[in-house]
Amino acid sequence: MVDLLPWFEWFDQSALATAAKAYGGVFVVVQMIHLLGLSLLGGMVLLCDLRLLGLLLRSVPLSAVARETRRYFTIGLLVMITSGIFMSGAVALKLYYSEMYWAKMTALLVGVLFVYLIKFPLLRHPGVELNRVARGLLASASLGLWFTVAATGRWIGFS
Amino acid sequence: MFDQLNAMLLQAARYLDGLASSTALHESYYLYAWIETTHVLTLVVFLGMLMVIDLRMLGLGFRSVPAATLARWLDRPMMIGFAVMVVTGIALFYAIPVRTTQSLWFRIKVVLLVIAGLNALLLRRYVSDTAQFWEHQGRPPAGVRLSAGASLALWAGVVLCGRAIAYDWFDCHKTLPGLLYKVAGCVDELAALEAAGG
Repeated sequence: MVDLLPWFEWFDQSALATAAKAYGGVFVVVQMIHLLGLSLLGGMVLLCDLRLLGLLLRSVPLSAVARETRRYFTIGLLVMITSGIFMSGAVALKLYYSEMYWAKMTALLVGVLFVYLIKFPLLRHPGVELNRVARGLLASASLGLWFTVAATGRWIGFS
Repeated sequence: MFDQLNAMLLQAARYLDGLASSTALHESYYLYAWIETTHVLTLVVFLGMLMVIDLRMLGLGFRSVPAATLARWLDRPMMIGFAVMVVTGIALFYAIPVRTTQSLWFRIKVVLLVIAGLNALLLRRYVSDTAQFWEHQGRPPAGVRLSAGASLALWAGVVLCGRAIAYDWFDCHKTLPGLLYKVAGCVDELAALEAAGG
């Protein structure tokens, strides 16, 4: 396993990290952006999964819901990654030694792969109907994964 | 009158602070952390659904679904999220009543919440009265778009202030200008400053 410590040490000394540490006011604004990105990304996950479970938007075709939520999911994800990188600059070395951080990154990687390689490709084609069990499994896996990403993310701050 | 209100609020906060359950909640590591986590993660339910509605009202997404119909469908999950946020928010306030009462950010947050609430009521009334004429159009009327944009900006402000409460930049124990003591409700500090001739 490659040790990423040198990368974290380099990042800790970078200009971006220095800025994140020096300007508390900027940091709070970036945290707000991160939380707005979370709301957008999470809202799209929720909307699409509740549609899969048949609890919301039942009269809207699944492929249409998937297309719309995919667009804003991607925007939310990009906003979160950008703001997240800035925030991690302030505590790069602390994160390297934080189990919660690695738990979150692992869940995030699995979540992103799941969304773009499994979930949205399965829902792309208007004519293809998944059966109830498959829809339920897809929605539960998605909700479980993204809840884990968000909860471990919040817990980084407590640990 | 504002000074009297500040004194009354502080008195009420000190009363809550004296209750054993307030202290217990503040000092409980896991319960407090879980309540705060629930408060933040429920943003996804409340603000997530609100963003979908506002994006539709702005004409920026979900255009194949009629605007008022979408708002009606998402109203329940949004309000469930809002209810959870209010309950957990009250619990967070109850755990740290004095500092929160005297927090500049908390006070701005409450003001923004009230404005966002009024904006939402106006938008809701306008949509329910007139949606039949425009809800099938991709792009709603200018007034609706303005209100939806204001809603997103106001809620961004609420999130910003909520996040900033955690920081002590403008806490009463800091040396601040008299006006900030007044706005934040730092009753004792303001009195001391005025006694010193500030």
